[in-house]
Amino acid sequence: MDRKRTAIVAEIPHMRRYARALLRDRDAADDLVQDSLERAFGRLDQWREGDNPRRWLFTIMHHLFIDGVRRNRRQQGGGELPIESAQAVATPPAQLDGLQSRDVLEALQALAPERRAALVLVAIEGFSYAEAANTLGIPAGTLMSRISRGRDELRARLDGTYRRRSIRVVE
Amino acid sequence: MTSVRTFGDHDIHLSLDGEMPADERDDFEAWLEQNPEKKALRDRYQSDREMLVAAVDGILDEPLPDRLAGFARATSAPQRRWSWRRIAAGIVLFVSGGSLGYLVGTYQPSSIVQADNGAARIADRAIEAHVIYSAEKLHVVEVGADQKDHLVGWLSKRVGTTLVAPDFSQSGYQLVGGRLLPSDSRTAAMFIYQDPAGSRISLYVTRDTDTADTGFKLREELGACALYWFDGGYAYAVTATNMTAEKLRDLAGSAYQQLLAAQRG
Repeated sequence: MDRKRTAIVAEIPHMRRYARALLRDRDAADDLVQDSLERAFGRLDQWREGDNPRRWLFTIMHHLFIDGVRRNRRQQGGGELPIESAQAVATPPAQLDGLQSRDVLEALQALAPERRAALVLVAIEGFSYAEAANTLGIPAGTLMSRISRGRDELRARLDGTYRRRSIRVVE
Repeated sequence: MTSVRTFGDHDIHLSLDGEMPADERDDFEAWLEQNPEKKALRDRYQSDREMLVAAVDGILDEPLPDRLAGFARATSAPQRRWSWRRIAAGIVLFVSGGSLGYLVGTYQPSSIVQADNGAARIADRAIEAHVIYSAEKLHVVEVGADQKDHLVGWLSKRVGTTLVAPDFSQSGYQLVGGRLLPSDSRTAAMFIYQDPAGSRISLYVTRDTDTADTGFKLREELGACALYWFDGGYAYAVTATNMTAEKLRDLAGSAYQQLLAAQRG
């Protein structure tokens, strides 16, 4: 049992990265990680040692993430998660790198949560399609369409961001 | 040249995500060369992906916030520390419930006591700090050994007792420097040392008026081991990774004597 706990604790940094990509806001992301860890430690027997701990933990995280999304939608009568927060920028905005990071994270936040989760798992966390589909509990075909639409939309939003910025500069 | 199959946007994603069968990749690259706008799309997606990863990658190296670090602490059951049989074979250590003054020069065959949970909190703090900062390449310490007097004076003042940065050079460890850290609502001082091979040990000191004086206690957590003790309202821990219990005990004993001498001095 202790080996299991140690294996789970070792995943916390990856859980935080996944949560931050999903939610952007640091506190909201750490809330998600904390809730997921509590749930995981409460159901250690459901995880078979030898199975990849990250996949198991990310599955738990995804359920909680989607629960949160639904709760938010109900409270607001539809719409997106209100996760924008001024101090939630993951990297200092001072340099161009920072600007790019901020833009790309903002654009990512604008994607529908289901699309965002699919893209983050595959493009950031490096899950295979099969692993990601399994973690998200969707068929592989659905996953692939979420990824291709997610990438498309992300690029379109980034194009929009840059266009707005260059217009501002010209004015 | 016969084309094996026709490619489309869909394949751009398969290729980016490592899902394209190896025997199709050459044909796919050839198709991209013939379709510059598709190649441009692939390149944009690829750079978006790199940007995404760069935007969040640093999070992996962030120190854990307290509420999550608590889960790491909660995994610490003293029963699974070092095998006590292994330790008993190699260790001679005096354990006293009373004053540590007995300890000086009077090691007697005994065993290190197991950590009890309340007192072990200090060891967990020390281990966390050790694991986080000893892994740093560039910013191991706040104040370097080149300003040792300033460092020792500053940390003594902030922690509230006369500290020394013990000399571990006989064991091959040279002072790198130190840091001031939070420890619950108090301050803690940390001195970090390094041997020629680059392995690091640390001494952690914080005020603790709640715990009676003890002998050395051992705690293993997060792949590191701490020998810690309470003496005169302060808690001390010497932490290392990949070190035998004997060597750690020698270092802790040496730290103890040097600190005691400084406080008496």
